[in-house]
Amino acid sequence: MALHTKNKRVTWKADIKQNWGVYVLFLPAFLFLFVLCYIPMFGIVTAFQNYKPALGVFGSRWVGWDNFVELFSGERFLIALRNTFFIGILKLTIGFVAPIVFAFMLSMLGSKLYKRTVQTFSYMPNFVAAVVVCSLLSQFLGKDGPLTMFLTIFGAKNQNWLANNRIPVFWLIYTFMGVWQGIGWGSIMYVASIATVNGDLHEAAALDGATKLQRMFKITLPCISPMISMMFILNVGLAFTQGYDSILLLYMPATWDVADTVYTYTYRIAGFQGGMADYGVSAASGLFQSVIGSILLVGSNWISKKRMGSSLF
Amino acid sequence: MSSAEKKLKLKRVRKGDDRVSTMIEKPTKPEIALNVIVIILCGLVAFCSVIPMWYVLMSSLSDGQTLLAHKGMVWLPVGGITFDGYKQIFADSDILIGYGNSIFYTVAATALGFFISVTAGYAMSRPSKLQKFMTIFVMITMMFGGGMVPTYLVVKAIGFVNTPLAVIVPGCTNAMFLIMMMNAFLSIPKDIYDAARIDGAGHFRILFIIMLPQAMNMGSVIILNSVVGQWNSWLNAQLYVSQMRELWPLQLFIKEMTANADNLMNTGDYSRYLIQFASIVAATLPIIVLFPFFQDKLEKAVITGGVKE
Repeated sequence: MALHTKNKRVTWKADIKQNWGVYVLFLPAFLFLFVLCYIPMFGIVTAFQNYKPALGVFGSRWVGWDNFVELFSGERFLIALRNTFFIGILKLTIGFVAPIVFAFMLSMLGSKLYKRTVQTFSYMPNFVAAVVVCSLLSQFLGKDGPLTMFLTIFGAKNQNWLANNRIPVFWLIYTFMGVWQGIGWGSIMYVASIATVNGDLHEAAALDGATKLQRMFKITLPCISPMISMMFILNVGLAFTQGYDSILLLYMPATWDVADTVYTYTYRIAGFQGGMADYGVSAASGLFQSVIGSILLVGSNWISKKRMGSSLF
Repeated sequence: MSSAEKKLKLKRVRKGDDRVSTMIEKPTKPEIALNVIVIILCGLVAFCSVIPMWYVLMSSLSDGQTLLAHKGMVWLPVGGITFDGYKQIFADSDILIGYGNSIFYTVAATALGFFISVTAGYAMSRPSKLQKFMTIFVMITMMFGGGMVPTYLVVKAIGFVNTPLAVIVPGCTNAMFLIMMMNAFLSIPKDIYDAARIDGAGHFRILFIIMLPQAMNMGSVIILNSVVGQWNSWLNAQLYVSQMRELWPLQLFIKEMTANADNLMNTGDYSRYLIQFASIVAATLPIIVLFPFFQDKLEKAVITGGVKE
């Protein structure tokens, strides 16, 4: 027992004797992660190959940067890149701020019961399957759909909004779908940290005559801003790489110009949607996306550390 | 109100857990207006959150032919209440197969994922020569991944494609769950472990009989998250078993029905049109009804564990 705390220098033999059970217990996770995470990591070499499934990774021809050249010389990928960029920006602005605003509104509610009820309802969309959400969306925004009919009150045409390929339409639809799904669940963290703000500060300010709104902006917001910036860093890293799979359920060839993203492009080029599979180019596209994601995460973390002193790692 | 009175009142307020504001100072007019606006906006969020589900529920109880011609929101069942949609679910072999598959996948993936998370979490929580290596081995997978195509090729190479294993195994757990479980084991007092060790219990017995029951708070959170995630997932099934219809989970059948909805409207096949609403209700209701019971637990996990999604 407590072998390791008493004596730092433990021989391998003693360690194995005592901890072989620990290592056996780690074996399932080791196999799982090694096969499904680590081997695919080495699979990114296919991005530099003219990969043919029949030949495998070791038999396929090496082509250097050809796949990337092909990627960037094609118009489709550049369009996908542009769409990913703008949807990512919308997610980081509207999508990021909405749960924070909602959390502040919840904290202003006087009635506990009402607050709890609102919260319970607002969590529900988080538990609805992506397939169902997209199905609902196409019902609501389709021709004669409830939301389409509602929008006609404001002079919009009765149309299938998802088939509309004017520029910000799909981007906004996708952003607000994310807001609908995440506003309640995403607010939990903020509600919790607003509740931990020291009550004394509020009392002191209230005695000095600060209004509720003033206290919110001058006390609560600064108190939780380190946590907000932390969440923002995390989101910058994820905004361009994650959460694009639902687009596969929403887009159609008619809207590829506005709805195609790097993720969906990678998916399509790999032949999952029928047609010719170009594994090499698809892997290159996937690699490009994850490199950008990593750069953004590290970069925003660095900026936040320099400017605000809070960082993720 | 004199300042002495104010302070007295403050003290009283402090005892309760509520905020100071409205109790010490009379709210001004703009403040009342602000409060009203906030109450309305919050109500609006709650309303928008449930209204799509209400629409589906009411549509599923409607008369198919009337519904097909109906425009806009369905507040109450149109054309009289019928249960045709639900009756057809039981006549439709697709939906029943999907339901069966979804239940099987959810149970199997949750069980497997839980087993892996618990064993690995325990292994990483015990001091050993390889403890650091194991933790880093897991952490790295949080930051880097192979991407869609390389993962697909590996799953294909090990022969999982077009078998139930491809739906169950690749998504059954993740590094986050392993780390959460490790933290749960680390927070158990060390004395319990030492005592069991002195009594001669091996690691397997210590884990499953002594430690796991103490860590079940986190364990149940992982199970809940996993059940919801598995029940709602569709992408792995789409990638790996889309050619094998008899292996489809419910979500893929719903996806197909939605994709074909426009055709159904044109052909006027209102019974098929109705069944999609009924099956959405059937796929969503179990989760929605169950979740309020676990709301507090899941909320707490988000706050402490930082579970994303």
